[in-house]
Amino acid sequence: MESASVAVGQAHADHHHHGPPEANQSSRIDRQTLGILLFIVSEVMLFGAFFASYFFLRVVVDPQSWPPEPFELPKAVAGMNTAILISSSFTVHYALESIRRGNRTGLKLGLVATWLLGATFLFIQINEYVHLGFSARDLSFGSIFYSLTGLHGAHVFVGLCLLSFATIRAFRGHFGPKEEDHLGVEVPGIYWHFVDIMWIIVYVTVYIL
Amino acid sequence: MKFNEAAVFKWVVIVGAAGALIVAVTLLTRPLVGALLLLVIAVVGCVYGYRWSRRRWRDLGARK
Repeated sequence: MESASVAVGQAHADHHHHGPPEANQSSRIDRQTLGILLFIVSEVMLFGAFFASYFFLRVVVDPQSWPPEPFELPKAVAGMNTAILISSSFTVHYALESIRRGNRTGLKLGLVATWLLGATFLFIQINEYVHLGFSARDLSFGSIFYSLTGLHGAHVFVGLCLLSFATIRAFRGHFGPKEEDHLGVEVPGIYWHFVDIMWIIVYVTVYIL
Repeated sequence: MKFNEAAVFKWVVIVGAAGALIVAVTLLTRPLVGALLLLVIAVVGCVYGYRWSRRRWRDLGARK
Protein backbone atom coordinates (compact mmCIF):
# COMPACT_ATOMS: atom_id res chain seq x y z
CA MET A 1 0.00 0.00 0.00
CA GLU A 2 2.79 2.37 1.05
CA SER A 3 4.96 1.53 -1.99
CA ALA A 4 1.97 2.10 -4.26
CA SER A 5 1.41 5.58 -2.82
CA VAL A 6 5.15 6.40 -3.26
CA ALA A 7 4.95 5.27 -6.90
CA VAL A 8 1.87 7.43 -7.44
CA GLY A 9 3.66 10.41 -5.86
CA GLN A 10 6.69 9.87 -8.11
CA ALA A 11 4.46 9.66 -11.18
CA HIS A 12 2.74 12.86 -10.05
CA ALA A 13 6.10 14.65 -9.67
CA ASP A 14 7.23 13.42 -13.12
CA HIS A 15 3.96 14.58 -14.60
CA HIS A 16 4.56 18.14 -13.29
CA HIS A 17 8.18 18.36 -14.58
CA HIS A 18 8.27 20.85 -17.44
CA GLY A 19 10.92 21.39 -20.09
CA PRO A 20 13.74 19.15 -21.31
CA PRO A 21 15.62 16.82 -18.94
CA GLU A 22 18.73 18.08 -17.17
CA ALA A 23 21.70 18.25 -19.57
CA ASN A 24 24.57 15.86 -18.97
CA GLN A 25 27.55 17.63 -17.40
CA SER A 26 31.22 16.69 -17.43
CA SER A 27 32.85 16.43 -14.02
CA ARG A 28 35.99 18.09 -15.45
CA ILE A 29 34.58 21.48 -16.42
CA ASP A 30 31.33 23.22 -15.56
CA ARG A 31 28.95 24.50 -18.23
CA GLN A 32 29.61 28.20 -17.72
CA THR A 33 33.39 27.84 -17.93
CA LEU A 34 33.13 25.58 -20.98
CA GLY A 35 30.82 28.16 -22.58
CA ILE A 36 33.24 31.05 -22.05
CA LEU A 37 36.15 28.85 -23.28
CA LEU A 38 34.34 28.09 -26.55
CA PHE A 39 33.31 31.73 -26.89
CA ILE A 40 36.94 32.85 -26.44
CA VAL A 41 38.07 30.33 -29.09
CA SER A 42 35.59 31.91 -31.54
CA GLU A 43 36.80 35.39 -30.55
CA VAL A 44 40.42 34.40 -31.19
CA MET A 45 39.37 33.42 -34.73
CA LEU A 46 37.63 36.78 -35.20
CA PHE A 47 40.69 38.72 -34.07
CA GLY A 48 42.84 36.41 -36.18
CA ALA A 49 40.88 37.44 -39.28
CA PHE A 50 41.45 41.12 -38.49
CA PHE A 51 45.17 40.56 -37.86
CA ALA A 52 45.42 38.66 -41.14
CA SER A 53 43.88 41.69 -42.91
CA TYR A 54 46.29 44.01 -41.10
CA PHE A 55 49.40 42.09 -42.12
CA PHE A 56 48.07 41.57 -45.64
CA LEU A 57 47.57 45.32 -46.08
CA ARG A 58 50.92 46.09 -44.49
CA VAL A 59 52.74 43.75 -46.86
CA VAL A 60 50.72 44.64 -50.00
CA VAL A 61 50.78 48.42 -49.47
CA ASP A 62 54.49 48.09 -48.63
CA PRO A 63 55.24 51.73 -47.79
CA GLN A 64 58.71 53.02 -46.91
CA SER A 65 57.59 53.56 -43.33
CA TRP A 66 54.75 52.21 -41.26
CA PRO A 67 52.43 53.93 -40.47
CA PRO A 68 52.59 55.60 -43.90
CA GLU A 69 53.26 59.34 -44.11
CA PRO A 70 51.71 61.58 -42.75
CA PHE A 71 50.01 59.31 -40.20
CA GLU A 72 51.44 59.21 -36.71
CA LEU A 73 50.27 57.15 -33.75
CA PRO A 74 50.58 58.31 -30.10
CA LYS A 75 52.73 55.45 -28.78
CA ALA A 76 53.23 56.94 -25.31
CA VAL A 77 49.52 57.61 -24.67
CA ALA A 78 48.61 54.14 -25.93
CA GLY A 79 51.39 52.71 -23.72
CA MET A 80 49.87 54.40 -20.68
CA ASN A 81 46.50 53.04 -21.70
CA THR A 82 48.03 49.56 -21.96
CA ALA A 83 49.37 49.88 -18.42
CA ILE A 84 45.90 50.92 -17.21
CA LEU A 85 44.27 47.90 -18.86
CA ILE A 86 46.89 45.45 -17.52
CA SER A 87 46.35 46.92 -14.03
CA SER A 88 42.66 46.10 -14.37
CA SER A 89 43.56 42.42 -14.82
CA PHE A 90 45.35 42.53 -11.46
CA THR A 91 42.33 44.14 -9.77
CA VAL A 92 39.86 41.58 -11.16
CA HIS A 93 42.23 38.82 -10.01
CA TYR A 94 42.33 40.48 -6.58
CA ALA A 95 38.51 40.55 -6.53
CA LEU A 96 38.34 36.82 -7.23
CA GLU A 97 41.05 35.92 -4.72
CA SER A 98 39.14 37.97 -2.15
CA ILE A 99 35.85 36.14 -2.64
CA ARG A 100 37.67 32.78 -2.58
CA ARG A 101 38.80 33.73 0.93
CA GLY A 102 35.34 35.02 1.84
CA ASN A 103 36.36 38.69 1.80
CA ARG A 104 33.31 40.47 0.31
CA THR A 105 34.77 43.96 0.79
CA GLY A 106 37.80 42.98 -1.29
CA LEU A 107 35.50 41.58 -3.98
CA LYS A 108 33.54 44.83 -4.21
CA LEU A 109 36.69 46.95 -4.11
CA GLY A 110 38.36 44.86 -6.84
CA LEU A 111 35.33 44.92 -9.11
CA VAL A 112 34.78 48.67 -8.74
CA ALA A 113 38.49 49.34 -9.37
CA THR A 114 38.41 47.09 -12.47
CA TRP A 115 35.33 48.85 -13.81
CA LEU A 116 36.88 52.28 -13.28
CA LEU A 117 40.16 51.26 -14.95
CA GLY A 118 38.27 49.76 -17.90
CA ALA A 119 36.15 52.90 -18.28
CA THR A 120 39.30 55.04 -18.13
CA PHE A 121 40.86 52.93 -20.88
CA LEU A 122 37.78 53.36 -23.08
CA PHE A 123 37.60 57.11 -22.37
CA ILE A 124 41.28 57.59 -23.30
CA GLN A 125 40.81 55.55 -26.47
CA ILE A 126 37.83 57.65 -27.58
CA ASN A 127 39.82 60.79 -26.76
CA GLU A 128 42.69 59.40 -28.86
CA TYR A 129 40.31 58.86 -31.80
CA VAL A 130 39.17 62.50 -31.53
CA HIS A 131 42.74 63.83 -31.65
CA LEU A 132 44.33 61.40 -34.12
CA GLY A 133 43.74 63.61 -37.15
CA PHE A 134 42.69 60.82 -39.53
CA SER A 135 39.55 58.76 -39.93
CA ALA A 136 38.62 55.24 -41.04
CA ARG A 137 38.16 56.62 -44.58
CA ASP A 138 41.81 57.66 -44.90
CA LEU A 139 43.58 54.95 -46.89
CA SER A 140 43.72 51.29 -45.98
CA PHE A 141 45.84 52.15 -42.94
CA GLY A 142 43.05 54.27 -41.44
CA SER A 143 40.49 51.52 -42.14
CA ILE A 144 42.47 48.72 -40.56
CA PHE A 145 43.62 50.84 -37.62
CA TYR A 146 40.07 51.80 -36.66
CA SER A 147 38.79 48.28 -37.39
CA LEU A 148 41.31 46.57 -35.10
CA THR A 149 41.26 49.07 -32.24
CA GLY A 150 37.49 49.58 -32.62
CA LEU A 151 36.87 45.83 -32.49
CA HIS A 152 38.89 45.69 -29.30
CA GLY A 153 37.10 48.76 -27.89
CA ALA A 154 33.75 47.04 -28.50
CA HIS A 155 35.03 44.06 -26.50
CA VAL A 156 36.06 46.36 -23.65
CA PHE A 157 32.54 47.84 -23.70
CA VAL A 158 30.98 44.36 -23.49
CA GLY A 159 33.41 43.49 -20.68
CA LEU A 160 32.35 46.64 -18.80
CA CYS A 161 28.69 45.60 -19.13
CA LEU A 162 29.50 42.14 -17.72
CA LEU A 163 31.51 43.72 -14.89
CA SER A 164 28.59 46.05 -14.14
CA PHE A 165 26.29 43.06 -13.65
CA ALA A 166 28.89 41.33 -11.46
CA THR A 167 29.44 44.49 -9.39
CA ILE A 168 25.70 45.04 -8.83
CA ARG A 169 25.34 41.39 -7.78
CA ALA A 170 28.37 41.71 -5.47
CA PHE A 171 26.80 44.73 -3.73
CA ARG A 172 23.58 42.72 -3.33
CA GLY A 173 25.56 39.94 -1.60
CA HIS A 174 25.15 37.29 -4.30
CA PHE A 175 28.58 35.62 -4.27
CA GLY A 176 30.26 33.18 -1.88
CA PRO A 177 33.66 31.51 -1.32
CA LYS A 178 32.68 28.13 -2.86
CA GLU A 179 33.70 27.67 -6.49
CA GLU A 180 30.14 27.29 -7.78
CA ASP A 181 29.01 30.36 -5.83
CA HIS A 182 31.21 32.91 -7.61
CA LEU A 183 30.97 31.80 -11.25
CA GLY A 184 29.25 35.14 -11.92
CA VAL A 185 32.61 36.84 -11.26
CA GLU A 186 34.87 34.07 -12.57
CA VAL A 187 33.39 34.05 -16.10
CA PRO A 188 33.52 37.86 -16.64
CA GLY A 189 37.04 37.71 -15.12
CA ILE A 190 38.18 35.18 -17.73
CA TYR A 191 36.65 37.35 -20.48
CA TRP A 192 38.36 40.45 -19.09
CA HIS A 193 41.76 38.72 -19.07
CA PHE A 194 41.18 37.69 -22.69
CA VAL A 195 40.41 41.32 -23.62
CA ASP A 196 43.66 42.36 -21.89
CA ILE A 197 45.75 39.76 -23.74
CA MET A 198 44.24 40.86 -27.06
CA TRP A 199 45.06 44.49 -26.32
CA ILE A 200 48.71 43.67 -25.58
CA ILE A 201 48.91 41.97 -29.00
CA VAL A 202 47.06 44.86 -30.72
CA TYR A 203 49.31 47.46 -29.06
CA VAL A 204 52.56 45.68 -29.93
CA THR A 205 51.45 44.99 -33.51
CA VAL A 206 49.77 48.27 -34.45
CA TYR A 207 51.59 50.90 -32.38
CA ILE A 208 55.09 49.49 -31.88
CA LEU A 209 56.12 47.22 -34.76
CA MET B 1 46.40 22.73 -16.11
CA LYS B 2 42.88 23.70 -15.13
CA PHE B 3 40.94 26.28 -17.12
CA ASN B 4 39.89 28.95 -14.64
CA GLU B 5 40.46 32.63 -13.96
CA ALA B 6 43.77 32.06 -12.14
CA ALA B 7 45.17 30.08 -15.10
CA VAL B 8 44.13 32.81 -17.57
CA PHE B 9 45.62 35.47 -15.29
CA LYS B 10 48.98 33.68 -15.53
CA TRP B 11 48.69 34.02 -19.31
CA VAL B 12 48.07 37.76 -18.94
CA VAL B 13 51.34 38.02 -16.99
CA ILE B 14 53.24 35.85 -19.53
CA VAL B 15 51.90 37.76 -22.57
CA GLY B 16 52.47 41.08 -20.77
CA ALA B 17 56.12 40.19 -20.06
CA ALA B 18 56.65 39.05 -23.66
CA GLY B 19 54.99 42.25 -24.94
CA ALA B 20 57.18 44.43 -22.71
CA LEU B 21 60.29 42.64 -24.02
CA ILE B 22 59.23 43.16 -27.66
CA VAL B 23 58.42 46.84 -27.04
CA ALA B 24 61.82 47.40 -25.39
CA VAL B 25 63.75 45.60 -28.14
CA THR B 26 61.82 47.41 -30.91
CA LEU B 27 62.35 50.86 -29.39
CA LEU B 28 66.06 50.15 -28.78
CA THR B 29 66.74 48.70 -32.23
CA ARG B 30 64.47 48.51 -35.32
CA PRO B 31 60.88 47.30 -35.89
CA LEU B 32 62.23 44.39 -37.96
CA VAL B 33 64.17 43.05 -34.96
CA GLY B 34 61.04 43.35 -32.81
CA ALA B 35 58.97 41.56 -35.45
CA LEU B 36 61.52 38.72 -35.57
CA LEU B 37 61.49 38.46 -31.78
CA LEU B 38 57.67 38.36 -31.89
CA LEU B 39 57.88 35.55 -34.45
CA VAL B 40 60.34 33.58 -32.31
CA ILE B 41 58.18 34.00 -29.18
CA ALA B 42 55.05 32.99 -31.13
CA VAL B 43 56.78 29.85 -32.49
CA VAL B 44 58.09 28.91 -29.01
CA GLY B 45 54.57 29.45 -27.62
CA CYS B 46 53.04 27.22 -30.33
CA VAL B 47 55.61 24.44 -29.70
CA TYR B 48 55.00 24.67 -25.94
CA GLY B 49 51.21 24.55 -26.48
CA TYR B 50 51.51 21.59 -28.87
CA ARG B 51 53.69 19.61 -26.45
CA TRP B 52 51.35 20.42 -23.55
CA SER B 53 48.28 19.29 -25.52
CA ARG B 54 50.06 16.02 -26.59
CA ARG B 55 50.96 15.29 -22.97
CA ARG B 56 47.41 16.06 -21.84
CA TRP B 57 45.85 13.75 -24.44
CA ARG B 58 48.32 10.98 -23.50
CA ASP B 59 47.42 11.37 -19.80
CA LEU B 60 43.71 11.28 -20.61
CA GLY B 61 44.24 8.12 -22.71
CA ALA B 62 46.16 6.44 -19.88
CA ARG B 63 43.30 7.08 -17.42
CA LYS B 64 40.74 5.20 -19.60
